[in-house]
Amino acid sequence: MSYYDVDSILTDSEKLPCTFELEVPGLGVLEGNPGENIKAGTQLDLPLWLGEMLSIGARLGTSRLVTLDIPSALSERVLNALKADPRTIDLRSLAPHFYSLSERVLELFEEEEMVDVLLNTFAKRAAEIADHAHNPKGAMGQGVDFLRGLDEMERQLFRVAHEGAKEVRVWAGEAKKRP
Amino acid sequence: MAFPLPRGITPPEISFLAEMEMVSILPRQRLEGLELLGGPIEPLLPPRRATLPLWLALLLKRQRRANILPPSWLHPESLSLILDIETQHGDSKGAFSPPPPLPNQPSAQEHYQKRPVAIPHYTPDGNRYFPSSPFLPQNVAVDQGPVGEAPRLPFHWLEVGTMLLEAASDDLVDPDQTRRLLKELREVRSSKMRSGVDVLDSAAVGGNVVSLTGVGAMEIGEGRGFISGVVDGLRRIGASKEQARREQMAGEMGSGGYGATQDDDDDDDMEF
Repeated sequence: MSYYDVDSILTDSEKLPCTFELEVPGLGVLEGNPGENIKAGTQLDLPLWLGEMLSIGARLGTSRLVTLDIPSALSERVLNALKADPRTIDLRSLAPHFYSLSERVLELFEEEEMVDVLLNTFAKRAAEIADHAHNPKGAMGQGVDFLRGLDEMERQLFRVAHEGAKEVRVWAGEAKKRP
Repeated sequence: MAFPLPRGITPPEISFLAEMEMVSILPRQRLEGLELLGGPIEPLLPPRRATLPLWLALLLKRQRRANILPPSWLHPESLSLILDIETQHGDSKGAFSPPPPLPNQPSAQEHYQKRPVAIPHYTPDGNRYFPSSPFLPQNVAVDQGPVGEAPRLPFHWLEVGTMLLEAASDDLVDPDQTRRLLKELREVRSSKMRSGVDVLDSAAVGGNVVSLTGVGAMEIGEGRGFISGVVDGLRRIGASKEQARREQMAGEMGSGGYGATQDDDDDDDMEF
């Protein structure tokens, strides 16, 4: 998690549903009406970095500015689907940085069950990724839907698994080294 | 990202390391002893067998100055036996065939003492030690292996096997069969590595251990990126759970007798 890690920067801009608890003068720009005040009780999707900062009062015990909610990518509906079959879900359409996002969300919320579901999902999908990485069937293969639904962390995993297998094949003389 | 090579060592580097393995050769020409950095090489006298590092043996073989005696595990019979072990233990799924016994393991001691070359070495200070791979004579040809012992794959089996097949296939028994068996073994074992992800799951979270006993150097090199990626991902997702677990443990420690007094001291300090 370096300061220059592009994935962590992009994770920061994932949206998080927030509800304003107080009326804030001059923050209407977030809602799309610059110059106006933002009313108490307004619901807005704010980027993770902003929502985190605004909700910090809640942790200090003073009156909080916003309350956070769990993003739709990690809603009950998604978790139930993941429990049923982790392999058929298109994580990428939920959030391109699904696991990094859930990592950040889990820092904010205590959700024991969500951790278990996500761990199971990751392990099951990792096994599937390894199979695809070792036996690539090309862009038209049957696993193409699954591979399209990988989030960034899983893509990275696919890449290293594929590279590892390929390097060994090149060494053994079974595959040509790329030019 | 700036460094083009992946983390860990690449397959050519692994096979380079494997060239330090000692193999037996049957020299065809005389050669005087060589003083090499890795240790002295005994003089080669044609009818006598000699034990050389693999790189030198391959060099002599390519110059037609020696024949390589294949190690006993690189025999079609031994390989198909090992393949049976790998495929038939369906109950202990994910277990690899056991590696060769180390000379200082008590259970293996009696087996190993029958072998001609398991000599304890001495450091310059006179301490006795047993060498580990690649300085174990795992690839040396033995006239008759220990009776009743199943053949074992050494740590560098894939590298040594492939290199011998490439350079000295005429010295091997039935090279085509050997090549086929090696390929099959590799496929069986690599699919086991992949199905071991389920084990990784419980290992990364529950603090258990992943058993990679019997896995060869090249297989570890192949799976390094993937395995460490999976474990790292599991760690990151489970970080909050782990945090909670630690806090709970710390709380339990704190409520105990000794821990409680410690906490009181800390609180006192805070007030000053």
